[in-house]
Amino acid sequence: MQEQSEETTSTITGPLLHLGCSNCGARLVVEPSMRTMRCPYCAAPSVLERPPVPGVPEPTFALGFTVTHVAAREHVAYWLKTRSRFTRTGIRTARPGEVRGVYVPAYLYSVLAHSRFRASIGENYQEQETYTTTENGKTVTRTRTVTRTEWRPLNGELSGYVADVLVTASTGLRNEELEALEPFDLRGLARYTPALISGWVAEEPSLTHEQCLELARKEAVERVGGKLAQFMPGDSHTDLEHQSRLEWEALDVCLLPVWVLAVRYAEDAPPLRVLVNGQTGEVVGKAPLSPWKVTAAVLALLLLVAVGYLLASGGGR
Amino acid sequence: MSTATPEVAPCRRCASALEAEDLRCPICGLMTPPRAHGTVERETAKVVRCENCGASVEYSVEAKAPRCDYCGSVTRVETTVDPVEQAQAYLPFTVDPEAARAALMGFLGKGGFFRPSGLAREASVESMRPLWWPAWSFRAGVDVSWTADSDAGARRSDWAPHAGRTRFDFDDIIVPASRGLKVKECEALAPHYRRDTEEREPRGPEGANIERFEATRSGARRTVLETVERLSRERLQQGVIPGRRFRNVHVAVALSSLYTTRLALPVYVLAYRYRDKAYRVLVHGQEAGAVFGEAPISKWRVAAVVAGVLLLVLVALLATGVLGS
Repeated sequence: MQEQSEETTSTITGPLLHLGCSNCGARLVVEPSMRTMRCPYCAAPSVLERPPVPGVPEPTFALGFTVTHVAAREHVAYWLKTRSRFTRTGIRTARPGEVRGVYVPAYLYSVLAHSRFRASIGENYQEQETYTTTENGKTVTRTRTVTRTEWRPLNGELSGYVADVLVTASTGLRNEELEALEPFDLRGLARYTPALISGWVAEEPSLTHEQCLELARKEAVERVGGKLAQFMPGDSHTDLEHQSRLEWEALDVCLLPVWVLAVRYAEDAPPLRVLVNGQTGEVVGKAPLSPWKVTAAVLALLLLVAVGYLLASGGGR
Repeated sequence: MSTATPEVAPCRRCASALEAEDLRCPICGLMTPPRAHGTVERETAKVVRCENCGASVEYSVEAKAPRCDYCGSVTRVETTVDPVEQAQAYLPFTVDPEAARAALMGFLGKGGFFRPSGLAREASVESMRPLWWPAWSFRAGVDVSWTADSDAGARRSDWAPHAGRTRFDFDDIIVPASRGLKVKECEALAPHYRRDTEEREPRGPEGANIERFEATRSGARRTVLETVERLSRERLQQGVIPGRRFRNVHVAVALSSLYTTRLALPVYVLAYRYRDKAYRVLVHGQEAGAVFGEAPISKWRVAAVVAGVLLLVLVALLATGVLGS
């Protein structure tokens, strides 16, 4: 059963919004993908309220930031310092630039999953085995205990709730990045209210409901697979296959706290994007490797091996 | 049952009872219906105002809540709460202190052969504290998927794999929450309570203590879930899984209509002293016949029995001629 509307149209696209600042009356120009803005004249933070748009549900939940601006910068500075030696010059000494706190929309998905599985279960047993070997030049017969595995087929079912699946609803944050930022502590979940995001940057969902549902289903089925691997009896198992039927799907928009910053480490390179979980301080980023450093290291290693080989073969002569 | 019916509608997906503050169902994770609010007609940029001084409010990381920078007042948001809760229902004492004392004397008197002979006479009751100990009681329907190895159908290996799915109903299962009593003691006391006597207020002898719940709401739910899994595993091994010997029993539970009550259960805790050693005895608050506790063992009597048995064995051996030959 579907909990949410089935509209396929998505994302708020369209012209820029022209609204009046409710504090000083100045004209505000608002990006349609943004949920919050700050008046450039009086600095009053405002939160947008929109009539319902089909396919773009209102946020249901929000997780508030708990990692401060300063702490986020410190986490990133430490992360930069501890990168590998093979990263491009300047990364390990770069200073984190401007840090922005963004509420990124994500979908929180939960479902009742009924799965049927099939697997081969390995049950070990022990057997006495006789074998012949040569001892002191004579052929002798000995016995030894060997462990063998008997494979038995098993069919079964697994029913259970899969809750707390988070998938991104923003084109600005890839799902792999969100997965790297996870886990978020959902015990801190709060019901969405404009006050929670006031003064911060908050995006509207920019991926369609359908795209997100597909991602969420995939993740839920993967989780069932992981659970099944733990669920198998026997000493070992192989050929585990499963098919899941998903019932009672529920999909709610949840705003997640993410610190975003760009690290500029070289004049000629684009800045490195680093994300920080606004709740746990987990840092995610991909520091590029320096092709020169890697090549040099490989060459040095080859040289060392070659010298070693030459010395060894020279010594043998 | 006299306990309050839940004021919040149960979860639409799994029919489990919800608390008023729950944002999501703790069992299946379904969002609880939000409070209705007016629909927005057209786009507006709204400034969130402080209810206290009217200045604009921003979310503050330090306060972990929206806070007004001018007057410092913090706006409360609807968030997940995890309170420590108190009992909803009390079972009354139906055994009075005199009867409890008599029950202790009876317990000491009928002790069996190994008890010291003068126990009932010489033991001095040091204290008698009536108290209500905390427990959760739950009922739930559980869809249990299981896999296990058992000896049924085994071929070359001692084990064969099995899998299945079954439904259990748990009714009024008591889960101890007491820190003062041991789990064993709680389990011994639990079956003797009369659940139809539940009342809203404590009723019992003067000076009776109420042991408070110390676990939070989420802790209570975790304990209840663990109990469901443990009981399911036990029930599965009593006739559901084929065979006699089991290993690797895995269970996955999908609960429906979980309903938990917080109970306060009456008991007398008595301490008595016998020859400079203190012992503890529990007398059930609703059934004087249910007495659990420690009693001294007469070392002389044990020694005499051991010596007697040894002597018998010796005589038997001599008689059969094993030693004599």
